[in-house]
Amino acid sequence: MRSAGLRVIAAKEFNDHLRSRKFHLIFGIFLVIAVIGLIGGMVTYQEQLEDYNRAQSAVQDTDEFMEKSYYSWKPSMLSAFNEMSSLMTTIGVILGIAMGFDLVTREKESKSLKILLSHPVYRDEVINGKALGGIAAIALAMGVVLVISLAVMLLFGIVPNFEETVRMFLFGALSFLLVFSFFAIALFMSTVAKDSGSAIIYTLIVMIVLSSLLPIFTYGSVYTAAFGQPPDPPESTMVRYGGYGGTYVSSAVSVSVSGEENEEKVDPLIDEAWQKYEEESRAYWERRQAVASAVSLLSPTSNYQTLAYAVTNPDMARMMLSSSQFSVVEMDDEIPQEGFSALFALLGEMAKNIAALVITPALFFGLAWVRFMREDVR
Amino acid sequence: MIRCEHLTKVYNGVPAVDDLNLAIPAGEIFGLLGPNGAGKSTTILMLIGLIEPTSGACFIDGIEVAKNPIEVKHRIGYMPEDVGFYATLTAEENLDYSAKLYGMDAAVRRKRIPDLLSLVGLDGVEKVVGGYSKGMRQRLGLAKALINEPTVIILDEPTANLDPQGVADYRRILGETAENGTTVLVSSHILSEVNRVCTSAAILAHGKYVAGGTWDDLARTREKGECVIRLETRSPMPEIVHPALLSVEYADGHRSARLVAGADIRDEIAAAAGPAGIRRLEVEAPDLEDVFLSYYHEEAAS
Repeated sequence: MRSAGLRVIAAKEFNDHLRSRKFHLIFGIFLVIAVIGLIGGMVTYQEQLEDYNRAQSAVQDTDEFMEKSYYSWKPSMLSAFNEMSSLMTTIGVILGIAMGFDLVTREKESKSLKILLSHPVYRDEVINGKALGGIAAIALAMGVVLVISLAVMLLFGIVPNFEETVRMFLFGALSFLLVFSFFAIALFMSTVAKDSGSAIIYTLIVMIVLSSLLPIFTYGSVYTAAFGQPPDPPESTMVRYGGYGGTYVSSAVSVSVSGEENEEKVDPLIDEAWQKYEEESRAYWERRQAVASAVSLLSPTSNYQTLAYAVTNPDMARMMLSSSQFSVVEMDDEIPQEGFSALFALLGEMAKNIAALVITPALFFGLAWVRFMREDVR
Repeated sequence: MIRCEHLTKVYNGVPAVDDLNLAIPAGEIFGLLGPNGAGKSTTILMLIGLIEPTSGACFIDGIEVAKNPIEVKHRIGYMPEDVGFYATLTAEENLDYSAKLYGMDAAVRRKRIPDLLSLVGLDGVEKVVGGYSKGMRQRLGLAKALINEPTVIILDEPTANLDPQGVADYRRILGETAENGTTVLVSSHILSEVNRVCTSAAILAHGKYVAGGTWDDLARTREKGECVIRLETRSPMPEIVHPALLSVEYADGHRSARLVAGADIRDEIAAAAGPAGIRRLEVEAPDLEDVFLSYYHEEAAS
């Protein structure tokens, strides 16, 4: 038989968050910056829309290439959320950490944990209640952000359509997962550390590792240092001058210039070397991309930013995805350009990121749960 | 009532509580005595279900704590030595949270909380607990221990931070609570307080039960059944002679004497010294510290 503990503890934790000065302060700063960013985004969006309309009318009579060009990307009001996604990875993350780092250590420091556990409640109700209270407070905060965003849009006379509204809610859900990820990390550290000071230090270390250190491993220089240089192109690709008649070679095609005759022919040896280079190069870059993707999956901020792009800036996300998969043309053809089908196709391509963004908080909350259940109360 | 059967708790191979057997009947105010590290707190934590025994068992009102901790916690009121509350909440809010955790209805909470705050002298205090003195927290701790109308109250060093008025209030509340049939377990190393409040006590040393019973029982056992009688008379008293008398020390020109007898022979002494005008005739209370330390040192030596 379960007691009423879970509900009571969750309600108390939720109220504590809402009454907390640090929550007011961080969330207040977040809101101010978000609103300013949104207003800026709305102004930019309106300018882009005007440019787009002008460009559309200008390219109507031009060739097809122009239609595929940058100017064919219809600006979206959701691009205003790009700035907010950057904000989420900084202040949103700090908000999550601030809400979680002392949830258990504060109870230990104030000696209230022993009293709390002397009540007729199960231990798991205590840690679950703390998590639930935090989840509810984060959800409320994200809800407030969405409502204010909507209000700002309406103030600018921009009414989102159904798809844009769905995308906004998805953005809110992703932001919730990001903040909850760091809340869960902080909660875990709160169960591990002896005091709140240590807990926040441990949490910041994990945050730096996940948000800054891991992405470094995806950088070219670090990867090159770890896994070696990319293959060199065949020597023949270098432009050379020399020999009789001023022969020069470029790429896999050799061009001989002798006297007044100009003839162009493919050198089989050069072509073979070039093909080998292409294969090696492709394998190298695919391996490098696979490592970068795998490392990125460990970082909630990387996953969040990738997914946030998919939701708020699908054109950019499509381009990033294409460039990472070495199949620009195929991807462009596979993923629809607009509508829900485009959204779901993109999210489908990013299923790994979605899974990672869900698993991270679940994993750290699981660790916090186990640690708290084994907590030695003396 | 409280019962411990071969209760043992071992931390890293070292027994904190070693084969403890206790039986505290309902309505008793029982003292748990012992120096730091004697196993008092570990025993209490096992009694309130916060830690599980390595072996043996403890029972509250006949319910085994380890097997049914939630049921037991409903019956227990607990106040730790370093009592802690939520600093940003008021006393009323802290008690309300506690009462909700006990599943008490709003109507019951509305009545009980002001009553308890009044009982411990915290009614009308509006500030948050973060601004409380240690004594005020201790008073609030006592109110919290009583919130669920427990059948067993366990108090760890309850008077450590109380002022004289607080101590008097605490004694009054404890007495009234025990009169209503509630069993009270008080863990302390303030011997005079235990002697004054508790009807019986047990001495723990190095996790082991050393001795137990009423304070007089403990003292007599320690002094091997000897009874020390203090006699004062208005005029010089005659020589006191009695077969049970082991030794007599006279002072103040035979107006004062300390008699050590094998039994309580005050009636016989009164008859013998009556003509000298008796001013004082009483059994000398054993020195609490001496008794406690003698048990403790004996245990340590063994």
